[in-house]
Amino acid sequence: MRKESRASSRLKSRIYSTLVARQSQDGPLLSLSATRESGRRLCVFEELVQIAPVGESAKCVNLCRVCHARVLGEHVEGAPVFWPGCPYMQFQNR
Amino acid sequence: MIVRGFAAGSQGPEATERLPQLGATTAGLGRNPIPAAKPGSDDGIAADLALVEAVLRKDRKATAEFVETYADAVYSFIRRRLNPREDLVDDLVQDVFVAAWENLVSFRGSSSLRSWLLGIARHKVEDHYRRLLQDAHPLDADVAAILPDRSPGVEAVADRERIEQQTRKVLEEMPQHYSVALLWRYWERKSAREVAEATGRSEKAVERLLARAREQFRRRWQSA
Repeated sequence: MRKESRASSRLKSRIYSTLVARQSQDGPLLSLSATRESGRRLCVFEELVQIAPVGESAKCVNLCRVCHARVLGEHVEGAPVFWPGCPYMQFQNR
Repeated sequence: MIVRGFAAGSQGPEATERLPQLGATTAGLGRNPIPAAKPGSDDGIAADLALVEAVLRKDRKATAEFVETYADAVYSFIRRRLNPREDLVDDLVQDVFVAAWENLVSFRGSSSLRSWLLGIARHKVEDHYRRLLQDAHPLDADVAAILPDRSPGVEAVADRERIEQQTRKVLEEMPQHYSVALLWRYWERKSAREVAEATGRSEKAVERLLARAREQFRRRWQSA
């Protein structure tokens, strides 16, 4: 596949942010506990929230909204995001 | 959003293990790499349904997997059709994914998820063409009448892969409603009648628009 026929990491990041924001508007996201149980990897920030002694509702919040990785991912191509489990890292076309 | 069309028992870990096609491309999101299923095969459809189900449950990681897996295909599809207006590609790609999310409950797996998304992309591109042609200035009938109805040379030229670059350059230089008319007619292979129906113009008006666009394309091509 030619390089120019691939979506940029910034575009993927923006699409992901938009979709998750839309999902949040309709109600809570799937909790981090359930996400983890389904076999999907969480980022370190989400892991901390997931094991924290807080209610399930706090684990259904869109944490990416306040994460610097999202800002970097949406605005910088090849952003220096190196957290395993972070979608914005996955979009970097590495 | 209400989740419909999936068996309740297909959720959870069991469902997510049926993702061979997607797991191969999303190792960074925590899934085990598994050999890819053939697109459109039963395994591929099952993987699509499992992913759709997870996205509808608002699993954020599944949503990331959805974007990562299909954004390149949608981008490539739209970019080729929107050429030369590449500045609009990103917006349309994003529109496709938003529309996909809003209609994801209607995905039943009768075709692959990729095909389903590209179907949405096709409609978005056609909407774009339609808007541009509806906004185009009316033709000067007197001028259009003296132009040739068709230019077979241009049709042949537009289809040649090897001169794609020059075609792109010429299209970039043309007024947008001309280039869009040519793209819709020759790239999407829409008939003048179909374009007329989509834009609310008469078939004759579309034919005149195409004639004028072809003539301008021919002149610019010769002077390029």
